[in-house]
Amino acid sequence: MTTTTRPPSAAPERQDQWTQRLRGLFGARILGLVLALAILIAVTTLLNPRFLSGQSVRDILLAAAISVLLASGMTMVILTRGIDLSVGSVLGLSAFGTATFLSEYELAVPLAVLLGVVIGSLCGAINGALITVGGVPPLVATLGTLYLFRGIVYFWAGGSRISAGDMPRSFLDFGTARILGFPYLTLIAVVMAIAVGVYLARYRSGRDLYALGSSPEAARLAGIPATRRLMGAYIMAGTLSGLGGVLYAARYGTVDASAGNGLELDIVAAVVVGGVAIFGGSGTVFGAALGALLLTVINNALPSLGIDQFWQRAIVGALIIGAIALDRIVAVRTAAAARKATTHVH
Amino acid sequence: MSEALAAPAPAESGRTPPILEVRGASKLFGPVRALNDVSISLDEGQVLGLLGDNGAGKSTLIKAITGVHRLDAGKIYIDGEPADIRSPNDARALGIEAVYQDLALFDNLGVVSNLYLGNELTKPRRLRALGWLDRKAMETEARRKLESLQVHLPSFNSSVGLMSGGQRQAVAVARAVAFATRVLILDEPTAALGVRETRNVLDTIAELPRRYNISIILISHNMDHVVEVCDKAVVMRQGGVVGQVVPTAETMEEMVSLIVGAKTHKKE
Repeated sequence: MTTTTRPPSAAPERQDQWTQRLRGLFGARILGLVLALAILIAVTTLLNPRFLSGQSVRDILLAAAISVLLASGMTMVILTRGIDLSVGSVLGLSAFGTATFLSEYELAVPLAVLLGVVIGSLCGAINGALITVGGVPPLVATLGTLYLFRGIVYFWAGGSRISAGDMPRSFLDFGTARILGFPYLTLIAVVMAIAVGVYLARYRSGRDLYALGSSPEAARLAGIPATRRLMGAYIMAGTLSGLGGVLYAARYGTVDASAGNGLELDIVAAVVVGGVAIFGGSGTVFGAALGALLLTVINNALPSLGIDQFWQRAIVGALIIGAIALDRIVAVRTAAAARKATTHVH
Repeated sequence: MSEALAAPAPAESGRTPPILEVRGASKLFGPVRALNDVSISLDEGQVLGLLGDNGAGKSTLIKAITGVHRLDAGKIYIDGEPADIRSPNDARALGIEAVYQDLALFDNLGVVSNLYLGNELTKPRRLRALGWLDRKAMETEARRKLESLQVHLPSFNSSVGLMSGGQRQAVAVARAVAFATRVLILDEPTAALGVRETRNVLDTIAELPRRYNISIILISHNMDHVVEVCDKAVVMRQGGVVGQVVPTAETMEEMVSLIVGAKTHKKE
């Protein structure tokens, strides 16, 4: 209807070129992450050959597993323009709960695992209800539940800790078991991340999360059930954090009330570094998972390079700022490209 | 409401009932009376101009028709049957689509996503919302629909936030036209457009009733456009209908004085 006859000017081609360049930039995020990972691993291995030993790699894969799980849930929430700051506390509550069910109540392992995950779902449902029914901004609601859930763990634990000796062997074995050299926990995380990725890309309700983050008002006009979708996203984030808590208990064997303390910001950092826009509407789980892996590798590589703890934090900070600066540059270029295209078409 | 229900559905007996009729619509936002006993009717294939100053209640009225707002009082009839429109999905199921003033597009998403959001095709079809997104079918159909509207976009995959005003407008109109089977509502569709693009929109408005038998409600501040494409014009002021005019070059002055409140018609 509009722009029916293409103007003889080179505007469309020019815009094509721009969009291609932009797509290149978005792809560049994934490429950049892979490149950063490769360089980091290469340099670290060169200076400290033991970095690529089987045990060290397994440690990284195990540590990344929990981050990837939580980052997948965080991605769903951030895509909707929300945030979930309670993931660390949910992980702690679920880890301590699972360990307690196993050691104190001597429940069967599958039942304890299920209960641990359900704890996460319930926490997610509380977050979702506060945000959708209560109308509390996600940042405030989940900041509140961050303290609330952590408080519950402290109350429950009362300063006690559950050690590996109290938990059944089969549960702890599961935490370290491998299949074809890959730790089970890593496989679980990868499978969950893929499931979330497929859901977001290939299902109607998954696309709705992008729509809600892209323009809440347009989503309302398009008849997207915002309450149900947001509720689903927060429950899913809680469930994945709950699963993360179960994996945490299985991997470390020792759980006290501080499990997962401060984890939420690491996860947000991983997701942002992975190219998920903090204001919603764009990004992928694949990117977020790569971001989580990169941050885990940094955390493991720097000590083995003999670099001070302080720098570890500073480098993560620089990465976050770099990632956001990159988003900003893309946005500015995008706006410039759109303006250019507009002036040409008119 | 009960009287409205008791009244015979078609206003004039012996004629086919209007495709869309709103009777006695009232809506309060807190103490503000956004709609006060508004009644309009739209016949099949008709283009109705909805006129009025800012805050006259035009947007509230169309959002009631599209299920975004719910009326406090009054009833909506589709083909003479009372329709219970509770959500945008209900309106969509009845074949009513709207293009809003701010276009209501998803800037981060591509053309196909924008066209289909809330309406996505899935496979297998009978699984509906539980099935996979049928991306190929959506892209093919989107191309076909845009082509039938003579819309050419430089790229299907780039996000619509990158596109020019005219292209964005085209996507928004294409989305509405693609799914409207009864009524298409256009809220100031030419507000952000250049001369040539405005021409295209007006041509489309003139053509849709003939080609697809779609009836149109057009909100516009431009009297020339109203005279050109509308079969009748309803003027709203302060939440109520103050007049109904057949728009011609001669009645243009009358419409303007109704809009600004310099003159009032006796209602009905």
